[in-house]
Amino acid sequence: MVKFLRILVTLLFVLAAVLAGTWVWNDYMNSPWTQDGRVRADVITIAPDVSGWATELNVNNDQPVKKGQLLFRVDQKRYQAALAESEASAENEKYMWELAKHKYERRRQLTENNAISQEDLETARINTKVAEANYKLAQAELETAKINLQRTEVYAPEAGDIINLNLRQGNYVSRGSSVLAIVKADSFYVTGYFEETKIPLIHLGQKAKITLMSGGKAITGHVVSIGRAIANTNTQSNNQLLPQVQQTFNWVRLAQRIPVDIKLDPLPSGVRLSAGMTASIHLTER
Amino acid sequence: MLQAVSFGGLEFSPLVILFPIAFLMVAGTRFVLHKLHLRERIWKVAWFEVSLFFCYLAATVYLFGGR
Repeated sequence: MVKFLRILVTLLFVLAAVLAGTWVWNDYMNSPWTQDGRVRADVITIAPDVSGWATELNVNNDQPVKKGQLLFRVDQKRYQAALAESEASAENEKYMWELAKHKYERRRQLTENNAISQEDLETARINTKVAEANYKLAQAELETAKINLQRTEVYAPEAGDIINLNLRQGNYVSRGSSVLAIVKADSFYVTGYFEETKIPLIHLGQKAKITLMSGGKAITGHVVSIGRAIANTNTQSNNQLLPQVQQTFNWVRLAQRIPVDIKLDPLPSGVRLSAGMTASIHLTER
Repeated sequence: MLQAVSFGGLEFSPLVILFPIAFLMVAGTRFVLHKLHLRERIWKVAWFEVSLFFCYLAATVYLFGGR
């Protein structure tokens, strides 16, 4: 009897170990969690739409800004001169058009008396149309000059924080070249790179618990998108257009990682996020 | 299990912590059984201890896994 009990106790523990081991394996391998998460945010790069010297810089690095706040101003003198030139040009074209109209009216009356030919009249009519078109062209150029002058002042398109301010007062800025970035306020989200084997366990709206590497309270959110594509290195070609197929081991395959975006719920107090932080993500299995 | 362990700027799998905890618990149990003279009475003591390790591991994962 005692021997039977001794055997039974050990066998019970072996059975429990098999069940426990199976549970641990499933929990580790088959539940939707990843250590490979990163905090991200909407970043707006700011580039001037006109070139020139930055004559005024109103912000510092990492400074919060409001939507519509003046960030910097480009030297306006050239654009003011261009505007004056366009205004004068438009006025000139306006009077040229009026003169052409006047000449045409005069010639129309002369035609009634057969004092000029039909051809002269037609030339006058066409000249009126040309003058009108020139006037419209000058007006369009005037509008462009106004826009250029307005855009010498660069405003924040959204509220947020200035990042990577490389601009200094007096620098020459070029049209289209970024000089600073704004991290849009309250735009933080987390992207988790989940193994492809776990993607069937993930669905939109699924609740997420996110733990930052820096510790502190866990933050929560929910899945808003699951990536539809990642790059495939086998589709690249060399300079002879031959496919560059990567060699792999026959027995071992690494699961690809698919990005899953998680929108954050309102943050608990004391949590400060920076885009790029590392996070562990655990999705609920329901 | 479901929470990474951060140490000195490096992030480790939680098993790095949970495995030694389970191992220490097995060692503690073994010591207690030895003191109570029960260890000699266990059938296939190696099987018993390995099984105990897995049971303790599952328990630590459940308790300290950050769920």
